[in-house]
Amino acid sequence: MKLSTLRKYLTWKRLRLTGLVLLWLLAGFTLYLDFRVRDAFEGRRFALPARLYARPLELFPGLKLTPDALAQELARLGYKETLAGDEPGRFARQGNSYEIVTRPFVFWDGVQPVRTMRLDFRGGVLSTVHDRQTDQPVTLARLDPLYIGGIYPAHNEDRLLVRLDEVPEQLVQALIAIEDRKFYQHHGIHPRGMARAAVALVTGRGVQGGSTLTQQLVKNFFLSPERTLRRKATEILMALLVEMHYDKRDILETYLNEIYLGQDGNRAIHGVGLASQFYFGKPLRELTLPEAALLVGMVKGPGYYDPRRHPDRAHARRDLVLAEMAKLEMLTPAQLAAARSVPLDVIEKPSMGTTPYPAFLDLVRRQLRRDYREEDLRSEGLHIFTTLDPVVQTSAEQALAKRLAQIERARKDLAGLEGAVVVTNVQNGEVQALVGGRDARFEGFNRALDAHRPVGSLLKPVIYLTALMQPKRYTLVTRLDDSPLVWKERGIPDWQPENYDKTFHGQVPLREALAHSYNVASARLGLELGLQEVLDNARRLGVERELPPYAASLLGAVELAPLDVTQMYQTLASGGFRTPLRAIREVLTGSGHPVQRYALAVEQAFEAAPVYLLTAVLQDVVSTGTAAGLKEFLPSSLKLAGKTGTTDELRDSWFAGFSGDRLAVVWVGYDDNRPAGLTGATGALPVWGELMRKLDPEPLAPPLPEDIERVWIDPASGLRADRDCADAIELPFLRGSEPEQFAACARSPGKKIKNWFRRLFE
Amino acid sequence: MRCLFQKKFPLLVLSVLLLTACATLRPEAMPVSENPAVLTLVEQARAEAAENKLHSAVASIERAQRLEPRNPWLWQELARLHLAQGDHVQAESLAARSNTWAGSDRALRAANWRLIGAARAARGDAAGAQDATARAAELERR
Repeated sequence: MKLSTLRKYLTWKRLRLTGLVLLWLLAGFTLYLDFRVRDAFEGRRFALPARLYARPLELFPGLKLTPDALAQELARLGYKETLAGDEPGRFARQGNSYEIVTRPFVFWDGVQPVRTMRLDFRGGVLSTVHDRQTDQPVTLARLDPLYIGGIYPAHNEDRLLVRLDEVPEQLVQALIAIEDRKFYQHHGIHPRGMARAAVALVTGRGVQGGSTLTQQLVKNFFLSPERTLRRKATEILMALLVEMHYDKRDILETYLNEIYLGQDGNRAIHGVGLASQFYFGKPLRELTLPEAALLVGMVKGPGYYDPRRHPDRAHARRDLVLAEMAKLEMLTPAQLAAARSVPLDVIEKPSMGTTPYPAFLDLVRRQLRRDYREEDLRSEGLHIFTTLDPVVQTSAEQALAKRLAQIERARKDLAGLEGAVVVTNVQNGEVQALVGGRDARFEGFNRALDAHRPVGSLLKPVIYLTALMQPKRYTLVTRLDDSPLVWKERGIPDWQPENYDKTFHGQVPLREALAHSYNVASARLGLELGLQEVLDNARRLGVERELPPYAASLLGAVELAPLDVTQMYQTLASGGFRTPLRAIREVLTGSGHPVQRYALAVEQAFEAAPVYLLTAVLQDVVSTGTAAGLKEFLPSSLKLAGKTGTTDELRDSWFAGFSGDRLAVVWVGYDDNRPAGLTGATGALPVWGELMRKLDPEPLAPPLPEDIERVWIDPASGLRADRDCADAIELPFLRGSEPEQFAACARSPGKKIKNWFRRLFE
Repeated sequence: MRCLFQKKFPLLVLSVLLLTACATLRPEAMPVSENPAVLTLVEQARAEAAENKLHSAVASIERAQRLEPRNPWLWQELARLHLAQGDHVQAESLAARSNTWAGSDRALRAANWRLIGAARAARGDAAGAQDATARAAELERR
């Protein structure tokens, strides 16, 4: 083309016009990017997860608490062991005395400010509590509750969000030192870095890094990992926009929560909070200098510098970070040397996700899903106060793990046993602990909620309850028939239940039939009462699942999850009042306003008297029956009640039992349903015993209903006795249903007159 | 028959209102507990109820219940609060629960039966309400 023709086209006017159009296009593109930036940034920054808390420890004079137990709670909460004036979150201990400065907290009933208190213990009881400043006695105070985890936004990547002030100073310094020295000075991009990148591009080394933290953040947020010039340009533009809208602190905080730091199977590890757990098994605030340096070093390439797969590279990288910090005088030579000498102390298995209690959190999530929109939960930064009791949870986890290991050691043919535990407060139905498997930290199959297994003898109490609701026909001493039974039903083969000891016991008192869990007597009783009646009562107790209307259901050929079983026994343990089990107490918005209360809900499903009678027999199960092995763990003065459960070919081992204050249900077995060869007494019972022993249970002494009377009985004959009769025992009866006849030992002439008199005045 | 019912209906409503009022009155002089912590919470609940913050009052009583689960007074306070909130089914159940811990305290039992009566009346169960009130009267008589 001739120069003159070109000149004709490239008039100033045209150039100006083209320039203007290009500028407009650029502006439009920028606006679009600006929108994208702000949308994603706000979305990430303000998509706060709901924070979940365990129960707060209530402190008041008279509380049964040991000084050591308080020390454990304070340790869990991360309280520091030295006082520093009025700084919250600290305490000092001198033997049986504590001085504590609590952290302020917003509870559902209002703000609890910082409290400085002196606590004195005596004899395993918190005896006095005083305000340290005014010296006035304090009637009631709460410690702040333990944070147990969060429920995260829809993108489902795990985070353990941290605020900038929760990040150790040295980690931030390391990051600045190695990744973006001029972070606090630049406006999003670094000209020298750019220049270097440009040079690399020109010299054919491809598109390089040279990115500021802001650019890296942008890359992490939206852009797919292409490395084109166009991508780079967009990245630069976006970085500038981010810097325009947000201040350095915001950018840094978001960066620390977003940066990709590793892979766990198909779970991506984002953010230093989660990475700290993943690599070192500890919360961020506890990281040491060398650990922080390693994390920062991995930013450049978490796969390349993976400390587990490439420890040498990781080590070298870490030391490089430390060296850079020293160069910038962030570390003294001594600190540098000390840090470099420490080996890489990465933990073997990533033990924990975002919560140490995944099974319990699972229950909370399900209960919330019933009553909230998923969106509300995930985007509002709610505070959810749960019923979890860390003390009970730890006991349950440890008991399960320990006993299963013991069983496997003793019987070499059993490996890979699994189990589940649920513990609740008898009086209000609060779930205090939920264990989904022997590896409690592992977020896998939640057996407590989802393992529906045959319950075997655990269903028998429902039969006996049904019977005891007809006091004219059945009392604790009524003889039941434990002789061979053949049940014919159309469409199924003849059913001939057997007892575990393969023998028949003839005529047995009702209470013994249940205490020793005789299958035949129980089946016959259930059939006499009517299958449907028994199943209806199971429903009234709180079993929601449809139970198959076959005779075999009487002996527990029904599948329930441990939580379902717990609901059933909860009604028994609370004297016939059905209380829905709950894992949540309160929900507050991020700014502290109440959202929803899970109030205590109670319904009288059964009259007190038959439940009282059944409980007496369940106490027999423990004192003389199939659960007598509990004596090894707990004193018989506690008068605990419970029921063992064993299924066909010993595939499932259950125990459900309660004290005055707690109910616990334990299941042990194999996931693939193969026979474990364990009965309720040899599998689940020791776990239960171990767990309860650690919790110092209250004795079980249910209140005597108005219409129940205690009467002396001669056990051999089932007739009335005298205190003077040998072996006489006192048994409860619904008034008017007790036997009228007296046993031989009570029939001496003198006694006869005495009894006649007694009856006159009754 | 209908005429009779119409005459009795306003009476019934009036008696329900009276009973509810009686049931929600705070018996100031009664010793609810020996535990100062529980007393503090009950005070708090009563203050909240007075300000018509019934949800908060319920929360405070439940907190007290965790400290003393077998205290029948606390269950009764809870029943009263639920009645005031119009939750009649819960009120009746909670009053029944209170009775299980009441032992031989006739006055307490009677108060619970009155609550049950009020709850049943409010639900339209006139016969049940009468039954409950009769039981209360009998307990108060002796």
